[in-house]
Amino acid sequence: MNREQLAEELDLKVDALMAPGTDTSTPDPLLQLADELRMLPSDEFRDGLREQLMEKAESLEFHQNASVARDEFTFTQPDLTPAFSRQQFGALPADPRNFLLSFLSHAALVAFIASGIWAVHSPVVRNRILTSELTYEPLPVGDVAPHGGGGGGDHSATLASRGTPPKFSDQQLAPPAIVVRSETPKLQAAPNVLGPPDLKLPQSNQLGDLLSPNVMPSNGAGSRGGIGDTSGTGVGTGIGGGVGPGYRAGYGDGIYTLGKGVTAPHALYDPDPEYSDEARKAKYQGNVVLSVIVDATGHVRDIRVARSVGMGLDEKAIEAVQKWKFAPGMKDGRPVAVQVSVEVNFRLY
Amino acid sequence: METLERESDDRPLIEAAQSEPARFAALYDQNFDRVYAFFARRVSSREQAQDLTAEVFHQALASIRTFKWQGAPFIAWLYGIAANVLSKHWRQQGRHSDEELTDLSSMGGDIERSVMLAKAVGTLLPDQKHVIVRRFVDQKSIKEIAQELGRSEGAIKQLQLRALENLRTKLGGTI
Repeated sequence: MNREQLAEELDLKVDALMAPGTDTSTPDPLLQLADELRMLPSDEFRDGLREQLMEKAESLEFHQNASVARDEFTFTQPDLTPAFSRQQFGALPADPRNFLLSFLSHAALVAFIASGIWAVHSPVVRNRILTSELTYEPLPVGDVAPHGGGGGGDHSATLASRGTPPKFSDQQLAPPAIVVRSETPKLQAAPNVLGPPDLKLPQSNQLGDLLSPNVMPSNGAGSRGGIGDTSGTGVGTGIGGGVGPGYRAGYGDGIYTLGKGVTAPHALYDPDPEYSDEARKAKYQGNVVLSVIVDATGHVRDIRVARSVGMGLDEKAIEAVQKWKFAPGMKDGRPVAVQVSVEVNFRLY
Repeated sequence: METLERESDDRPLIEAAQSEPARFAALYDQNFDRVYAFFARRVSSREQAQDLTAEVFHQALASIRTFKWQGAPFIAWLYGIAANVLSKHWRQQGRHSDEELTDLSSMGGDIERSVMLAKAVGTLLPDQKHVIVRRFVDQKSIKEIAQELGRSEGAIKQLQLRALENLRTKLGGTI
């Protein structure tokens, strides 16, 4: 058989090999090579992925630099109270007493104006019920990561008061209010909050924010008519027509990171993870880092592997951490959901 | 594994990428073929292998600053990520074949062979390489390639034969 016939015959076999659903096992070494070549990556993919990664790297670098710049800025901020540090301000000598005097006189003026506004807008209180018997009820944990939240308020001078939110509904006809300002509302409708109607939260006769420390009836310092200290037609410290510290419809569970008054959750029950069989056989050790959210009830959710070691240890780490129980992180005296990293060490002794 | 031991000194590249993420490119170039080969032997299509490879490198870049040098080569870390990515992929497809992922030492030979093959294709003469890439990677017919190169179909078939023979020789006739 000459080269031309050989090339022809090989191509027929290659055609057959490349037809979909063909059994690719063959004793012919050239066809085995052809089969392997079919899985080679394309140059476009290799170059395209490299480009994507470089774009992402640039963005990471930008954030890294921005963070450094922010830190530097913090250290180079000018002293906003030069009087206290006895620095000269221009040509004038600085004296701390001047600053104190100025501060006290301004504070007195603000208090005087605020008291006038308070007197004019004194609310009509109806069904006044103190809610000090209500205890903290943690928001339920759903299958899907909750994100909803609501807020509201009517620019009251005090925080929204404690109570329970009204029922959820797909449509909101009237926002909830603790302190009713109009005795003759334009629309007679039961107040509700936005969210799935089958979502149930604790109910009582007293509307309010489940997590509020304030027992004096108040719609809160926020705006748009709900109950809260932010903005919205819902209930809580979030934004929107839902309930809780998140945003939009549903019940909320805003997620915090540590710092700025947010304390870290600490483990109450943290059984050790098991070793995977394959890692034990290979005498493989390593530290798996998991990114988790410890919610306001101290349960762990949204577990993600931040640093993987493989060999089945990542799965074992997740399995263990799922069982852990925490005292939740706190912010302003309230339990909140906090995103933290958990390092799980696997060591063979 | 022989290759892991041979290339264990990639610490400077890792540290460079940790302080300057754009330098991750060097780690990508050094390890792309192995990570891709890891998947190519385990999934049914090139598209799946490419998607999973991309996932591994994106995860690696995102976590590079948290990587702690413990003496093991960088590729071992990438294989760890790859094993997780593949395990998740199989779970999504309803497969439970985690045991297939565990024995890196037995698949090391296959991966190295795939890496050698990819490099060998790069060393072919330009017309042979073109035929191999268009025929097998891009799945073009002999007729289409002949039209692209302005040559007869017989000439392209001869180029295909020569290219495959050369690749076999470059791989040391291991097949």
